[in-house]
Amino acid sequence: MKVSYNELQGLCRKAFSGIGFEDGDAADAADMVAWMQCHGLHGVEQLNRGLDYLLAEDPEALTRVIYQDGDLAVLDGQGHSVLRSISLATELGFAKARARGLSVVKIRRCHNRQLIMGYLSRLAGRGMNITAFWRNAQVPLTEQVVGFRAGHTTPEVRVYSVRDVPEENEPNDGITLVMANHVDLLPSLDPDHDLDLLAHHPESELLACRELALKEGIEVDDAIWARLKTLAHRILVESSEASRGGAGAGVNDND
Amino acid sequence: MTDVESLAATPMGLRPADEVMRLERLGSLHATRLSFVRSLVRQMARQRWQISRVRFDLDANGNGTAIYRLQTPHGRYHGVMFAQPLDDAQRSDRVIAEAWDVTFGMVEGDVDDSLLEQMAANVPLQEAGRQHPRVLVLSRANKSLRNFSHFVEALSKGDQPDPAWLTRVGYLYRTTAVYGNGKFGIADFARLIDNPDFRRPFSAQMAGVYLLRHFSIEQVEHLAACQSPDTACGLATELRRYLGIGNSTGLGMAPFLINHPQLIAQWIAQRETALTLALRQVPEEADCARLIALTRRALTHFDETVTEDAEQSERNAATVAALPDVLTWLSSVPLDPDLWHQLVEWSARTLPLEAQELINTLLIELYPDQVDALEDRMGVVENLDLEPDMPLIRLRQLIETHYGWALAHDYASREGSYWFWYRSAEKEEPRLGVRHEEAGAEKEMPLAIGPRVARAHQRVCAFLEAHPRATVVDFLLEHPRHKEVVRRIQTLVKAPYGDIHANLWHRDMKPMHLLRTKLSFFGASRFDPKSDRWVRITLFQGAPLVEELNAEPEDLSDFDDWSFPLEPAREGIQGHSMGVRE
Repeated sequence: MKVSYNELQGLCRKAFSGIGFEDGDAADAADMVAWMQCHGLHGVEQLNRGLDYLLAEDPEALTRVIYQDGDLAVLDGQGHSVLRSISLATELGFAKARARGLSVVKIRRCHNRQLIMGYLSRLAGRGMNITAFWRNAQVPLTEQVVGFRAGHTTPEVRVYSVRDVPEENEPNDGITLVMANHVDLLPSLDPDHDLDLLAHHPESELLACRELALKEGIEVDDAIWARLKTLAHRILVESSEASRGGAGAGVNDND
Repeated sequence: MTDVESLAATPMGLRPADEVMRLERLGSLHATRLSFVRSLVRQMARQRWQISRVRFDLDANGNGTAIYRLQTPHGRYHGVMFAQPLDDAQRSDRVIAEAWDVTFGMVEGDVDDSLLEQMAANVPLQEAGRQHPRVLVLSRANKSLRNFSHFVEALSKGDQPDPAWLTRVGYLYRTTAVYGNGKFGIADFARLIDNPDFRRPFSAQMAGVYLLRHFSIEQVEHLAACQSPDTACGLATELRRYLGIGNSTGLGMAPFLINHPQLIAQWIAQRETALTLALRQVPEEADCARLIALTRRALTHFDETVTEDAEQSERNAATVAALPDVLTWLSSVPLDPDLWHQLVEWSARTLPLEAQELINTLLIELYPDQVDALEDRMGVVENLDLEPDMPLIRLRQLIETHYGWALAHDYASREGSYWFWYRSAEKEEPRLGVRHEEAGAEKEMPLAIGPRVARAHQRVCAFLEAHPRATVVDFLLEHPRHKEVVRRIQTLVKAPYGDIHANLWHRDMKPMHLLRTKLSFFGASRFDPKSDRWVRITLFQGAPLVEELNAEPEDLSDFDDWSFPLEPAREGIQGHSMGVRE
């Protein structure tokens, strides 16, 4: 079915509230999904893939700072979806980069990582250069680099496959964020490196997707939409005779 | 630098938020020349918009399809109206209704057969349909049955209806929702940002309502002609002018006011800027005479206004009682350069709130050259962004400086936490429940900002005890549930007209004030509360007609002068034969 951007954002927000997200987290998560979807990056599908995890997560387990100094932080994402936990971790990086010029933030143990782009877009819009980097533990090993120029809310996205896989045991379930006040951090492929470019989404392509989505609406899967509606229904109070009076109007207006 | 730019650069002299954002004062606002219906009509006239009928397939009962074309210098739009029979038992103004007398959509571009077919299948269903992405506005309206039958009956006999009927109820149709911005699949507002016709907030919705007004006139004339082809006449121009479109509004408007604080701040800031610009003007005799004339017109308007609501009646009566003093004051004081300052200071000391705000509205009315540019500043990019690196002590200071009102309430008492706001499973209709008596408080909508600010402040103070040098993000990593209210505070200290200074939980809180706040910016008149949380109003009453617009008016200031419309005298109203109009 075709939906509008505002409709998608609105329903996601209600669905996240229905799952139990705090008000601000529900708004951020909805923005992240809708942002991804309207830029042609399949936000709804990403959400659907992570929805069962989200429903099973312990909402009381907070993203925890393991280490930090002036320009570096390592956080434990508690295995949560970035939808629930990521905004404050990225804001920590933003605060450090503002104070020190450049920051590196590593968020360990998180999933649904693609969706982080929607929130980074906001930080970039606030004047920050950002590169986000992560590897997917699949065969072949792939890595994704997302670069935002300060002031630009649309990134450039590149996905590489890594031919020369290092022999190490570092789990590939984290995200590394580099933020810089004044330094351009856009990704570029060095031809000497042993990488294959699997996908490249330049800023112009993503912007064109957004324009088309606003013009023609956004296609979403009916079944996912229905599932989101069911979750959104959790925030509604069942109607009763007493509650009908709570709207303060009559029900017949033949006058 | 223009006046507007210089004032925007140095917003000194605007009334403080503690005064303006009090709920009772917001609930006393009137439409101004910056209200959206006024701005739209000015824009239509200035840019020579043209409206034509391209289809009018109505049967003898007035049911069928009508399409109106709206041509602007930049684009073409169509209002597509579906009139259908409606059983009296189904006629409800509530959002939970499922059928209406008229449903309509305003479309960007042309309407071909396939789009018309799609709309005919979905627009009458409203929320239950899937709407086309080229539909900019989706709406529906119910008849005022009494007015409708009186009008058809009179016109069919060749008589004009009694104007007093339009003073009591100023319309043939009242809308019960006017949807924009992506609802049910229609176009997102973001798509209109670069559209010079409708980039102002709610301007597309107001244009849709204006087309409905025209349809209502044509439909009632059509019915009269069908009923008595030999005797029927058209509606006289004075009555067509005096006919607006109603709107019935409930609590649904309240969440918008709270959830779009930057937009509300922007609207109110423009109004306050306009007032400050007006107050800075040195009045001349002609200005004073004009203000006296406007005050007289407003006095008569409020004297004529009818409402069954006792409280609103009292407020109208108090305004009517106060205005003769204003006229006396104006005619007795010397023409000092700071006369308008003297006037508002005197009015603040002596007049009831609604009369005070009426004086402000009329002062703004005097100075189109100074204030009209503000209408292009009603929009805003909404982004409640965090300032994570702000020292937490600074946040505490900001709360204590700018949110003193929120810290002053007692949210623990029964009175202070009496209401909770929620959405019902019935079409998500917003409702109010009594916290300790009704079910559903655990699903409360977080509309009451005061208690959230107070809770966050308490936590911030405690955190600072242990971490005096903490930043905001340090605090939020430990207490993430306060993120939303913290970034709201950080944003709104820069847009101080964003939060309403009231405890929306309190037993004495009047939801009607919230509704009126928003409606006044739309340009509503004839506030007619039907309970403490449901109101009927009128839009476009007195506004120029489609045929006057199509005639490309030369005197734009005369075209724009239609605030506080008065009942036309019954004598002198003349109809015309249907043939002349067609």
